[in-house]
Amino acid sequence: MPLVYPTMKLSEVVEEHTSLIPVINRFGIRLGLGDKSVNQICEEYGIDPDFFLIVINTFLNEEYFPEKKLQMFHTSQIIDYLTKTNSYYARYQLPNIERHLSSFISMSSPDNGSLNLIGKFFSSFKEELTARIENDGKVWFPSCLELSNKLNASQTAEELKELQLCTIKREEDRIEALLYDLKSILIKHISGEYNENLCYAVIFSIGSLEKDIKQHNRIRYRILAPMAMAMEQLCK
Amino acid sequence: MYHTKRIAILLPDTLQSTGLQSILTEYFPPVEVGCFSSYESFIALGGDTFDYYFTLSETFVLNVDFFLPRKSKTVILTDCPMCGPSLPSYTNLLTVRASLETIIEQIQQLFDADVNNLIAGEGNKDLSAREIEVLQLVVKGTINKEIADRLNISLNTVLTHRKNITAKLGIKTVSGLTFYAIMHGIISADDIDL
Repeated sequence: MPLVYPTMKLSEVVEEHTSLIPVINRFGIRLGLGDKSVNQICEEYGIDPDFFLIVINTFLNEEYFPEKKLQMFHTSQIIDYLTKTNSYYARYQLPNIERHLSSFISMSSPDNGSLNLIGKFFSSFKEELTARIENDGKVWFPSCLELSNKLNASQTAEELKELQLCTIKREEDRIEALLYDLKSILIKHISGEYNENLCYAVIFSIGSLEKDIKQHNRIRYRILAPMAMAMEQLCK
Repeated sequence: MYHTKRIAILLPDTLQSTGLQSILTEYFPPVEVGCFSSYESFIALGGDTFDYYFTLSETFVLNVDFFLPRKSKTVILTDCPMCGPSLPSYTNLLTVRASLETIIEQIQQLFDADVNNLIAGEGNKDLSAREIEVLQLVVKGTINKEIADRLNISLNTVLTHRKNITAKLGIKTVSGLTFYAIMHGIISADDIDL
């Protein structure tokens, strides 16, 4: 069920769930929210409040994912959001983990070989995520947009609805699995001398990237991918 | 990790069973809850496949043949603890008007009695010799088919080993398994390129 409603004060919502701060930043909203309601803020920034609320509510609530509603938004809106999440990962979250990780490794006992291995594991994860982000920006997203431009905008929504968007059965996402392992290795299998405080900082930053990517992936696999498939059929 | 408790709620009152279900799901995971408004619908769906039963004393008495042998696994919901069912030495009571705190404590007591048995039954988390062999090949990048050939086992057996390895270690990806294998000296870092 949704947790946040249009009439609520956005500042109160953010006070309760500080993990939303990067999400609202993605929409261009900056802190200094005052006592304005979600509606007022959306109007001020020129944001579609329906889309904004769905993103926020699905981010906060793992059980809430109104597939049909999300598929009614315009492709460009969805791609725009996914692009913003991608650039947030590349510009902030990955470097952030990296920063914590490198001070974690250098501040811990130098002869603890397992930490260097963790560092290598992270680098290979980073490479994979970076490659996916690049492919999204250069190949997949542009091709989705091109498809949606080909179709008459007003027609699209109706026809897509008729096509009965099927949810693509997704294989487990590699990025998610790698993040899970990275966290689980630190929690379950770390050994030897290490700096506790920095270890927590690393795990915390991995955890927040994990949460964000899970939501990104839900939109990616359950909304954009089926929409793209349906549009391809329509274009034929 | 405890195994999932399968729980049947046999209550005619929807609000009551929904409330109980959400308490069980929230405070005692992992659980799988089935709600039934009558004994008949419960039996029709294979009544014997549950670990615990929550019901009213009326239902208990009417179907005493079923519940008596499962007495220690059955909880009776009651309005007041004094007027419980007229069954001798009945211990598993849930007082519906008590505070949430008390109710949680009562349910806790029921489950606690079984925790000891469960721990004894938990599988060994160490890898078997065969699983270690499979792990060594996996992290060297060997494909499943080839692992099967090399170890002279079927492809399905390889898959089972891999599933068990992941379950025991809590690691899903090959990169993660590689890390584990090097850490535990199962392979040396020189054997593979990271």
